[in-house]
Amino acid sequence: MTSSNFLFAFGTLLTWIGWFSAAGTVWTLFQMAINRTGIDPRRTMRSLTSSGLTAALCFIALAVLPMHASTKASAGFRLPLVWFVMPYSGWLGCASLAMAAYRLFQGILSISSTERIERIKAAGCWALALIAFVFLYRRDPANKIEIITGGLWLTTQTTVAVLLLAIAGIAAMVLAGRSTTTKGYARTIVTQSALLAGSIVFGLPFAFLVITSFKEDRDMSSPNGIVWVPRVQDTVPYFDKKSPLYKANFQNETVEGTIAKKNSDGTVKMDIIRPMAIRGTSFDVPMASLKEIPKEIPVVSGKADGVSFEGKVIEEMDDGHRRVEFLQPASLAGRQQVFAPADVEPVRHIGLRWANYSEAISFLPPETANGLVYLKNTLILVVMSVLGTILSSAVVAYAFSRLRFPGRDVMFTVLLSTMMLPAAVTLMPQFLIFRSLNWIDTLYPLWVPAFFASAFNVFLLRQFFKGIPMELEDAAKIDGCTYLKTFWSVMLPQIKPALAVIAVWTFMGAWNNFMGPLIYINSPENMPLSYALQLFQGDRGGEPGLLMAFATLCMMPVLAVFFFAQRYFIEGVTLSGLGGR
Amino acid sequence: MKSPRFGFLLACALATMAGFAPAQQKKRDLVVWGISFGPDTKGQEAVVREFSRRHPDVNVRILSMGAGNMNPQKLLTSIVGNVAPDVINQDRFSVSDWASRNAFTPLDDFIAKDAGKDPLCPRPDQYYKAVWAEANYQGHLYGVPTGADNRILYYNKKIFRDNADALRAAGLDPERPPRTWSELLKYGKILTPPLQNGQFVRTGFMPNFGNSWLYMYAFQNNASFISEDGRKCTMNTPEAAQALKFIVDGYDQIGGYEKAKEFESGFLTNENDAFVLGKVAMKIDGDWILNTLSRYGPSLEIGVAPPPVPDDRYYHRGRFKDEKDTYITWLGGYCLAIPRGARNPSDAWNFIKFFTSTEGRIIADSAQKNWEQLRGRAFIPRQEGSREANEAIYQQFKPADPKFAVALRQHMDLMNFGRIRPVTFVGQTLWSNHVKAMETACYHKASPEEALQQAQQVVQRDLDAYFDRETHPIINLAIPLWIGIILGIIGLVVLLVMFLRLKMGRLERQEAWWAYLFVSPWAIGFLVLTLGPMLASLFFSFTQYDVLNEARWVGLKNYRDIGGADWINTAKSLANAAYLAALTVPSTLAVGLAIALLLNQAARGMRFYRTFFYMPAIVPGVASAVLWLWVLTPDPNKGLLNAGWQQTITPWLGLSPPGWTQSADWSKSALVVMSMWGAGSGMILWLAGLKGVSTTLYEAASIDGANPRQTFWSITFPQLSPIIFFNAVMGFIGAMQEFDRIYIMKPSADGPVGPDDSMLTPVYSLFNNGFAYFKMGYASSLAWMIFSIILILTYTQFKLSPRWVHYETDK
Repeated sequence: MTSSNFLFAFGTLLTWIGWFSAAGTVWTLFQMAINRTGIDPRRTMRSLTSSGLTAALCFIALAVLPMHASTKASAGFRLPLVWFVMPYSGWLGCASLAMAAYRLFQGILSISSTERIERIKAAGCWALALIAFVFLYRRDPANKIEIITGGLWLTTQTTVAVLLLAIAGIAAMVLAGRSTTTKGYARTIVTQSALLAGSIVFGLPFAFLVITSFKEDRDMSSPNGIVWVPRVQDTVPYFDKKSPLYKANFQNETVEGTIAKKNSDGTVKMDIIRPMAIRGTSFDVPMASLKEIPKEIPVVSGKADGVSFEGKVIEEMDDGHRRVEFLQPASLAGRQQVFAPADVEPVRHIGLRWANYSEAISFLPPETANGLVYLKNTLILVVMSVLGTILSSAVVAYAFSRLRFPGRDVMFTVLLSTMMLPAAVTLMPQFLIFRSLNWIDTLYPLWVPAFFASAFNVFLLRQFFKGIPMELEDAAKIDGCTYLKTFWSVMLPQIKPALAVIAVWTFMGAWNNFMGPLIYINSPENMPLSYALQLFQGDRGGEPGLLMAFATLCMMPVLAVFFFAQRYFIEGVTLSGLGGR
Repeated sequence: MKSPRFGFLLACALATMAGFAPAQQKKRDLVVWGISFGPDTKGQEAVVREFSRRHPDVNVRILSMGAGNMNPQKLLTSIVGNVAPDVINQDRFSVSDWASRNAFTPLDDFIAKDAGKDPLCPRPDQYYKAVWAEANYQGHLYGVPTGADNRILYYNKKIFRDNADALRAAGLDPERPPRTWSELLKYGKILTPPLQNGQFVRTGFMPNFGNSWLYMYAFQNNASFISEDGRKCTMNTPEAAQALKFIVDGYDQIGGYEKAKEFESGFLTNENDAFVLGKVAMKIDGDWILNTLSRYGPSLEIGVAPPPVPDDRYYHRGRFKDEKDTYITWLGGYCLAIPRGARNPSDAWNFIKFFTSTEGRIIADSAQKNWEQLRGRAFIPRQEGSREANEAIYQQFKPADPKFAVALRQHMDLMNFGRIRPVTFVGQTLWSNHVKAMETACYHKASPEEALQQAQQVVQRDLDAYFDRETHPIINLAIPLWIGIILGIIGLVVLLVMFLRLKMGRLERQEAWWAYLFVSPWAIGFLVLTLGPMLASLFFSFTQYDVLNEARWVGLKNYRDIGGADWINTAKSLANAAYLAALTVPSTLAVGLAIALLLNQAARGMRFYRTFFYMPAIVPGVASAVLWLWVLTPDPNKGLLNAGWQQTITPWLGLSPPGWTQSADWSKSALVVMSMWGAGSGMILWLAGLKGVSTTLYEAASIDGANPRQTFWSITFPQLSPIIFFNAVMGFIGAMQEFDRIYIMKPSADGPVGPDDSMLTPVYSLFNNGFAYFKMGYASSLAWMIFSIILILTYTQFKLSPRWVHYETDK
């Protein structure tokens, strides 16, 4: 199905290219025949060969392509582009008609008489072509111009898509150099809409992320396309007499739960429902210390004996049925009835399901203190890496750029050559080194290497150091500064912007580091966010709401830093040229 | 630092920590991996809690994150790194794999100590024979089985009834399920209605839909996969080929494997499950589907039967004349084991005993039942590896609905007829190659015999490598290490002496000392973290070394394997990298160039726009991979991209949405689409390149009357070609080292990297070999292969476009 359709679409495209090239060839020949002025014979010949060759190749390919059956059977599958079902002659006729009309119109409006004659001549040519095509079309009675209704489904989405496509197309054309011909305001509109369209395309996955993180489970998958407006279930507080919900204290934490069993000694056994990480845990607690709190129960609507109602679900029964207490209309209020799940519809309102965030966090292992430990580890990693990289790279770069010592050039060459060494080569021996130091399952292997200066940063900083005038350093020397003092107080402040860029890179590198934690870290207490997120994805992949909430939380700090240090980020990305990866 | 108060505070803090530390460490930690906590595993939680209650001095720490799909790399790294967990929940068929690598602790001593004294201590007679055997390797017990799952035939009685006339016409009884292979095929054919618009409406039977694989059919046909002595892979026998042919026929008769896969790719889960919706009339599956069926298809008329067997077996004739068992199924499951180096083995053993005991299992099922009932759902217990527990649970938790009770009973009755995957240390390889062989045959890329032959060779190679290891000499790694260290010291001393003998002024010498001090962070790092490891890696590339066992010198074997035995993977990974680069470089170029041009306009609100275009490059890699995993979900009801595709491209061009990461043909495109999203930021470089093209060239061209197309091809393109070449080379180098997002986005946690290894990159291959299988030697040789390719490419790059070598100009 797919391949045959594809083949047909491809074949159609080829056919069209072939026809147009052929038409182009004929047109060029025609031009040569009437010997229009201002024709470069060499260029004409070249275009003649190229278009002729293209046409020939297309037709040969078409003869080989097994698409003859498909061209006839327009009923077998839906091809929405209307000209696909017109015979070629019909379509070419239409095109000729349009061109003839256009040229005629141009001719009428033209200023000079020579131009008018040119235009009208052209219109005449098109009219001739039109007659030829109409003749071709008439010759075969099997040819029918058929416009398949519903071929192009103009739903909201397709309309938006077509509009976006049009905007993008216009923008592309304008930007490709025709902008000079458009007026100032038109240009602004086009630029703005192109920028807007681009922002939408690039922002869409983000919007998807954030919106998904606020959706209820039932909206995650919908046969009517993606749900963009999150809705949440209406609930009402309800004191359940059958199984009341209580608040209690468990290991210095406030928990909610229900009573599972009453013990003989006046205490009760309580089943924890919230927080999620310890749900299902049961413990004994004196009845007196419990405080009853209302349950939040869902509101549903439906029809009872032909009367539409709203009610609250006071019990979900074993067989899936629900016991509903009516809220509206007033005549029914307070009465109860049992419904099958299919007979009631949840009552929902547009809103954000913040519970996804709290639930995502409550699913994290208890030892990570609601995920704060992850954040702490990432911060340690980031701070230590940035600190180590900046200090070590700057000091090394300073020595290479400003100090003279035997072996400098050799060492620098070695340094440069390590730039192309893939990390993969040293991966395994480094693992063995860190293993012998008993550093597996600690953060050390991830940040300690930062203190040993990386080649690329040294190289970059050296360039910056070289740009600082020698006089500055000489002055410091005359004032009696040691090399360390000169470096720290005189040279380092001069390259602050470069350091900021390196800091930003290192920050991103450390925040994103994934392979490192994957190899070295095992226990939740030592995990940084990036790895925790991957594990969360493995565990809670089936619950996109929670997953997206956690992913959003992982992104937030970086985005915050980005907004504050936007300049350095963009500079950094530009300098490294790594943005595409 | 200077303030004395700080020092005082520090001392106080240390004192406090010292004072409190012992109080906190009273409980013994017991680290358990591989047990996931979720809505479907409330029972597991309950057992763990009960264990903690009974052992108040033990602090059970379930590594809940990432536990559900335990990955071998994590486990092996932790064992090698001396931070192993105490208990691990492991797929039983891979136990022998681990045991052979010396990575698990044998449990025989524990059993010998407790047998007869502790009622919780597992006894072989409590367990189904095959289940128990699967947890043993070379006469030692390495794990205690927990669950067990076997496969039976599920069929939809309503579909049978609706097609009763057609079935009767073919001489088949619509009242009973098929019993033999040939019956199964006949029923399957009749119950598959003709295609509509080239698509299935329903299939009667797809041999591998559900969970049967070649293993089950081969077992039924008495095929074995490994010889008795464990030295020969025997998956290329005629029996196995016959079974594979049955699978191929099963697909061919309804319209082919590809069509069936296409049909399957539209299947959803839960209430939209294909079997629940009646899109599939029969399937062979395990007991895990019962919960889905009871929850989402309670009114479905399901029937169950033992999986149909070869006709000869059913009628006890021919080869099967003396065969006792009529029915044969396939049996798998998990077990709890203690990894080598566990810090707390005695508590681990207590935990295992309790967790696997009948008492423990009943606690688990009671808790799960309560949980389900709170949610208004019926509870159907899962099968256990222990017969005793299984029977007790059935008595206590028998489903109220008779059809589910019958199904459960059917599973239990077949337990004794379950065959297990061969107990061999190449279990994982065997599994993945058996899958490969099946696919190859089903796609008709090779006959069943040839496909199995190919697979057999791959497995046999691993077997041979293991049994031949004795022929390679053991080397003591301390010797090269000390030689290296001594040579390093000698080198440094020589350099020092040379430096001291240089004629220099006092100031000059002073400056040099300072310089050496300043350069030392890099120099030390270079020696310890770069040069040393490089040499070590070069050395390892000539050895066979898995860290747990002694290294063996194998000479050039690893390098020969790259181009020989493992060439399939090498070629695939390199081809994938080239493919990825070939797609990524131009597409990101186009997108980036467009954006660079857009952002170069003078427009209001540029800051705002720029943020949008740059943001994708700022988002943490893992987060964006997770996000794209959802954006690229093939199901158009869920995935953003395919939802858009469904609304636009499908009605316009009739192309159905692609499978992205789930399909071998599209998985790389998925990565490319993701790269394009992140391409917005790096393209300032391109803009700079464009601006660098001298305007005089364009002026000259316009005077000569060149049209825009000619200008582009004769001036812009040649002028930009060094950048394009540079990007192509960098793109390829980058693609070779692609890892993070593939790790996150590949559909299956272990096994092939992407469908049919379509996302395998060289560095991924290295990671797998190095850290998942700990073939340190082979991984090192791969590292050197990658390094040499990069060297060659960089060299070419330098030679061909010297203008990109920045640092040669600034000297």
